[in-house]
Amino acid sequence: MTLLGVAVRNIKRSKLRTALTLAVVAIATLFFILLRTVIWSWTSASEFSAKDRIATRHKVSFVMTLPKRYAEEIAQIPGVKAVAYASWFGAKNPKDESDFFATIATDPKTLLDVYHEIQTTPEQKQAWFENRRGALVGDALAKKEGWKVGDKVTLTGSIYPGDWEFFVSGIYTTTTTNVDRSTLYFHWEYMNESLTGARKDQVGWILANISDAGASGRISKEIDAKFGERDLQTVTMSEAALNQSFLGMFSAVLKAVDIVSIVMILIMGLIVGNTIAMGVRERTNEFGVLRAIGFLPKHIAQFVLGEAAAIGLFGGLIGVALGYPFVNALVGRALEENMGNMFPQFRVQPGIAALGLALAIVLAMAAAVLPARKAASLKVVDALRRVG
Amino acid sequence: MSESHNFGGKSDIIALSKVSKTFWRGKERLDVLQDLNLTMQEGSFEALMGPSGSGKSTLLNLIAGLDVPSSGSLKVAGVELSQMSEGDRAGFRAANIGFVFQTYNLLPVLTAVENVELPLLLAKLPAAERRKRAQTALRVVGLEDRMDHYPRQLSGGQEQRVTIARAIVGDPKIIVADEPTGDLDRHAANEILNLLGKLNTEFNKTIVMVTHDPAAAERASICHRLDKGALAL
Amino acid sequence: MIPISYNVRSLMVRKTTTLATAGGIALVVFVLAAALMLSAGVKKTLVAGGRDDNAIVLRKGSGNELSSSIESPTVSLVLAAPGVKKDETGAPLGTGEVVVVIAQQKLSAEPGQVSNILVRGVTENVFKVRPEVHLVAGRAPKPGTDECLVGKGIAGNFQGMALGQKFELKKNRPVEVVGIFEAGGSSFESEVWANIETARTSFGREGLVSSVTVRLESAAKLDGFKATVSTDKQLQLEAKRETTYYEEQSQGTALFVSGMGWVVSVFCAFGAMLGAMNTMFAAVAQRKREVGTLRALGFSKFAILSSFVVESTVLALVGGLVGVGASLLLSFARVSMMNFSTWQEVSFSFAPTPGLLIGSLVAGALMGIFGGFLPALKAARTSPIEAMRG
Repeated sequence: MTLLGVAVRNIKRSKLRTALTLAVVAIATLFFILLRTVIWSWTSASEFSAKDRIATRHKVSFVMTLPKRYAEEIAQIPGVKAVAYASWFGAKNPKDESDFFATIATDPKTLLDVYHEIQTTPEQKQAWFENRRGALVGDALAKKEGWKVGDKVTLTGSIYPGDWEFFVSGIYTTTTTNVDRSTLYFHWEYMNESLTGARKDQVGWILANISDAGASGRISKEIDAKFGERDLQTVTMSEAALNQSFLGMFSAVLKAVDIVSIVMILIMGLIVGNTIAMGVRERTNEFGVLRAIGFLPKHIAQFVLGEAAAIGLFGGLIGVALGYPFVNALVGRALEENMGNMFPQFRVQPGIAALGLALAIVLAMAAAVLPARKAASLKVVDALRRVG
Repeated sequence: MSESHNFGGKSDIIALSKVSKTFWRGKERLDVLQDLNLTMQEGSFEALMGPSGSGKSTLLNLIAGLDVPSSGSLKVAGVELSQMSEGDRAGFRAANIGFVFQTYNLLPVLTAVENVELPLLLAKLPAAERRKRAQTALRVVGLEDRMDHYPRQLSGGQEQRVTIARAIVGDPKIIVADEPTGDLDRHAANEILNLLGKLNTEFNKTIVMVTHDPAAAERASICHRLDKGALAL
Repeated sequence: MIPISYNVRSLMVRKTTTLATAGGIALVVFVLAAALMLSAGVKKTLVAGGRDDNAIVLRKGSGNELSSSIESPTVSLVLAAPGVKKDETGAPLGTGEVVVVIAQQKLSAEPGQVSNILVRGVTENVFKVRPEVHLVAGRAPKPGTDECLVGKGIAGNFQGMALGQKFELKKNRPVEVVGIFEAGGSSFESEVWANIETARTSFGREGLVSSVTVRLESAAKLDGFKATVSTDKQLQLEAKRETTYYEEQSQGTALFVSGMGWVVSVFCAFGAMLGAMNTMFAAVAQRKREVGTLRALGFSKFAILSSFVVESTVLALVGGLVGVGASLLLSFARVSMMNFSTWQEVSFSFAPTPGLLIGSLVAGALMGIFGGFLPALKAARTSPIEAMRG
């Protein structure tokens, strides 16, 4: 039996009050874990990006196109292993206008060279190469739309109007989670042969696989310098940097999520502090008796803080225990499948869980500081005074 | 004014000389005790009685080292308390005083024996030694078989007996009791008073008790009456 | 029935507890109100740009101006369609515009952090078609020059976009900011308006427009106009009322914001409700004798139950009022975020509509009612004998 042990056992006094307070701490911890995982997942996309891949786009706007021959020029630069090009096609499912997925026109062979994470069977790969109207579809997208290999799919173009017919040549999976599983890739030639005038022979962006990841900065600069004097200039950066800048556009949302997680913690602090304060008020006489028999003010403070720490610990543990299934199984699965490009990975990280638990304990104790001080600073005779 | 009499070599264990205690309620000054002189001998069983506001609780608090006089000298168990800091007095109490209050004595989340062990945590004794002494104390009060019961499983009288066990576990010289029978029925009250009497006669504990109960006062060897902060003869 | 003053006084006696619990509810109501206000602000900002009697024509199936491209000769066909209002010279009131998004360094962010700004290539007709737009600084651009206007929402926030500054649309194609305009808080205020020819050549949109906007003779003329414009199979166009178009543009973002707001609020509400429950249980326990006395005096179980529910609700309403009051302060703030459907960064305000504020308050009250119900039930079960127990 120790003073701390007694403090912890004190939470058994009022089972109802303790249960309610533990529930509040658990909910707050669970919510904290959820929010932090959202932020982590969003930002981790940039950390998990391939370090040996760089992307080149039009300097002024990603909406503007580059000439396809730029890709051939980039391939000449020393250090560049493979080059692929792609254009955003923007087609929609005519059966459901709100159904959103990415359609990208590209050169099949070089795409797979540069995106080594995209995997499919050799037969499907070959079938795709050979069919001008063939499409390689991500497994998550195929599952959502109910497409199988060999199916004919008709999509309505928005940027490039008309009905476009595709055949599902293959379905791909990815070796890492940060690459999208919901994209439809098809032959750039199929798109280009129908275009005329200024729209012809254009690509949206160019991807390069470089042999030395450390050289990505140097090579990027070299590419931009090469096109620096031309009419159409480029800006090149590593995939990681690209994702980072993309994230920056959502900075307001991320900031809002941050603010909300702080608000939740404040609410938790208020409620836990209130509970502790109520308990302390009710036990004034008892603390007086303890002081009488020789316990010092610091012991009383330890009592109160110990109890708060116990509430933080147990409530936090419950929150973490609930957090794993809630985030991983429920929310995580839904997000990974439906918004996989924004949230490629949505799993509770041990670091986040540990942080949540630590915060629960620290904040519960912080909330108890004022009541603890008040209880400790009371004079013995005042504490013993009978109420009522 | 009571004087100390040295019968059979007993000494004064408590000596108050010209003790005053003043409280301030905002701007209002309350002189609860004025120029009090009082001595108590070791091994005596003393009762303090008086109407509400007479200052008997204040006097008890001073004797127990819970508070210090505003002026005057207060010597308890050979120690001058009037100039002592709160921290030092806490240590003094732990070593010399056992407490029995009317209510709120026991922690509901601890068993009887654990409640009795509580003061020994301050003495930093090893767990086995603490347990042994606590059991002994419970044996003295006749509740050893209830040692693993929680306060809610005990009757009011039993709770007070556990409290007394706690009060003696550190073997203090003085036991201070503030209305120990106030919440009890007649039967239980008698049990407690018998116990206190036993501690006094068999173990030579000095007992200072504040009480309203005339039956309780009868058990004491000396009864002091206070009125408006002064001892009545 | 037990008078409310009993509850109010009881709340005031335990001040700290009341404040702490009310504080928790205030925070939840604040968050809810803020999210709803932002969502309403998104709708308001985006819809504000539209008029009931304007129609916008896009390439069929494109969804928004950014994805749409229409050949220039088609513009005059559209302007000639029935229902289009004529100006004082007898010319049709309408304009074809080129719309593109550029990336520009945000001054308040890290270097390298760019945001998307919408550049609209406009004709001289633009002010006639959009009379709600006014210059607030500088002057209108000289026709056919590389001068441009920037909206109030972005002026000074991005590299090169302050009055008198220059920035490049593309290499060796700088434009100079000669004026700043305001547009009734709509998303136009987050745009750059440049000369249409400058925009065309800078972005390779020669011979094209993104959209055609026309003023209708009246809002009712939309159907006739739509019919003519949509039926021609060759043209592949679709027409919408301008307000409808902007409403559709705002949907995704507004839904996202309010959705997030609700999720957050539900979580926080649970926490605050449990807090209220805790407080009320403690209060009931503390006032056992009081309640017993009330029962002994003859007050019914229902009276006790409703009294405590009322107390809990009053507590929650106090918190709710503080939360709503604090959220009103937000109406002075602006949030700059990306509109998901157009990829454009728009600055939104918080729009405090009365319905929304009352709704948040009601949500707060509900927290009090639900949180206080179980404790009230317990109080109602107190027997009169408790009054006499020691």
